[in-house]
Amino acid sequence: MLKDVTFGQYFPGNSLLHKADARFKVLILIEYIVIVLLANSAYAVGLGLLLTAFLMVFSGVKIRLLLKSVKPLIFVLVFTCLINLFLTRGSGAPLVDWSFIKIYKEGVRNAIAMLIRLLSLVLGTSVLISFTTSPLELTDALESLLSPLKKIKVPVHEFAMMMSIALRFIPTLIEETNKIISAQKARCADFDSGNIFKKLKAMVPILIPLFVSAVRRAEELADAMECRCYHGGKGRTKLNVMHAKLRDYIFLLAVTAIIAGVVVLNRYDASFIKNLIKDLVF
Amino acid sequence: MAFIEARGVEFAYSPEEPLVIDGIDVKIEKGSYVAILGHNGCGKSTLAKLLCGIVAPTEGQILVDGINTCDGEQEFELRKKCGMVFQNPDNQLVASVVEEDVAFAPENLGLPREEIRKRVDSALATVDMSEYAKHTTHKLSGGQKQRIAIAGILAMQPECIIFDEATAMLDPTGRKEIAAAMKRLNKELGITVVTITHYMGEAIEADRIIVMNQGKIIADGTPAEIFSKVEQLKEVSLAVPQVTELLYMLECDGYQMPRGILHAMDAAEVLTQKLKK
Ligand SMILES: Nc1ncnc2c1ncn2[C@@H]1O[C@H](COP(=O)(O)OP(=O)(O)OP(=O)(O)O)[C@@H](O)[C@H]1O
Ligand SMILES: [Mg+2]
Repeated sequence: MLKDVTFGQYFPGNSLLHKADARFKVLILIEYIVIVLLANSAYAVGLGLLLTAFLMVFSGVKIRLLLKSVKPLIFVLVFTCLINLFLTRGSGAPLVDWSFIKIYKEGVRNAIAMLIRLLSLVLGTSVLISFTTSPLELTDALESLLSPLKKIKVPVHEFAMMMSIALRFIPTLIEETNKIISAQKARCADFDSGNIFKKLKAMVPILIPLFVSAVRRAEELADAMECRCYHGGKGRTKLNVMHAKLRDYIFLLAVTAIIAGVVVLNRYDASFIKNLIKDLVF
Repeated sequence: MAFIEARGVEFAYSPEEPLVIDGIDVKIEKGSYVAILGHNGCGKSTLAKLLCGIVAPTEGQILVDGINTCDGEQEFELRKKCGMVFQNPDNQLVASVVEEDVAFAPENLGLPREEIRKRVDSALATVDMSEYAKHTTHKLSGGQKQRIAIAGILAMQPECIIFDEATAMLDPTGRKEIAAAMKRLNKELGITVVTITHYMGEAIEADRIIVMNQGKIIADGTPAEIFSKVEQLKEVSLAVPQVTELLYMLECDGYQMPRGILHAMDAAEVLTQKLKK
């Protein structure tokens, strides 16, 4: 039942993005999101798309896998596009005017823009973070990036520790869940028939033992951690320290330059997009 | 002075509950190899937790290398001296990657990176797991996980390690691996080993056996001494090693048999002698 649950979608690899410092990848993701949201003109959008394409190439992730990550979102994508297409009211005559359906130029434009934005966001996050950064690296990166917040008493280390322990226990708990499911099945529990409520009710005998055992595990783990001198993040050192390389800085700078580029290109908006739509439609 | 010294220790998990540890006085010498036996619920795990200071005694005191386990200020020193390996390997591994898990204790001690690296490598080498340094912990076998747990403690460079039924959840192969590791730690590195076990085969490897019942120590001595008192052990529902049991049964049938034989070869020797006569 839970056999094929893999946490995250990390694929170990050796690409440029795999080797990049996780902290920089997080920063670059933020910049990337800014770019996607800012890009307004066709030129700017084009620049954004170019960046996306580069990231996809650098990640070394197969297109097939990327498309797979988009697949579950197709419904959302189509739905938002259609909403934009039909509900945007523009000035000027509608392009299509058929009983209650009216489609305006602006609708077409919004729909295309929305599609590009959403697709870019999904693809960008996938290649920058989910596919190329191991969850542990990500936790470390977040701890390191958020460490200034420690000054205002935000328990950054504790959150990172919780995250990494949670990650460590996911496979253990999945295994345990499978065992409990088998045990309950052996007692003639039925998880597959009945309506949704029946099915939910059938989950209770799985969840309760799972919960009880998780609490017991937590107690033991706490003892074990205490035995190994754990006393919070104060005075703690690390075996693996993240090393930023020159190319990480260059990467970050390049993406920052692209933000600037997008801001500049946004000025060439109106006339250009109108012409584009005219060319496309007429 | 003994390395671990308990004086009149009593302990209850809460004031209303009965005493789990009921007046224990014990001394454990540095570099010794001690096994603790006792049936389920007699307080062995509780004693182990008391010895490494995870819980504090309600009455009496425990000194580990001169440090009182109740002394909050020296808690850190105490933990460094006395590590503990628990029963369930899954519940004591902290990190997803072997080497990061082993590094957990030295990281907590705030050691410099090179020192951590050195300790991790040598701890992994001691338990013969060097080639697994970069592996994911959850994909290892039980015995391997338990060896990683031992390495995690070793990286702290403790003087004493307490094993609380560290072999209970392992298959025979895993059990042998861990038993061998314990012996090596004691004989080669001179670490004081205290092992709690239900397997008599492991207990006879120790230099000294402590038998507990209902929170009290009821017998204390070398394996040969302890397993001579078969009746007393049976009274507290403990088993004896198989060959000891065999000789005891023969004795009950009226044959003259020596007590305190623990190993199969010795027993065979005794029996052939008898048969020749
Ligand atoms: N955290 C706890 N809170 C309250 N009571 C406890 C706790 N842990 C153990 N006990 C009780 O203390 C007694 C001794 O438990 P302990 O775990 O020390 O036994 P044990 O000798 O290790 O048994 P086993 O061989 O099963 O491991 C038991 O009666 C148990 O119910
Ligand atoms: Mg126990």
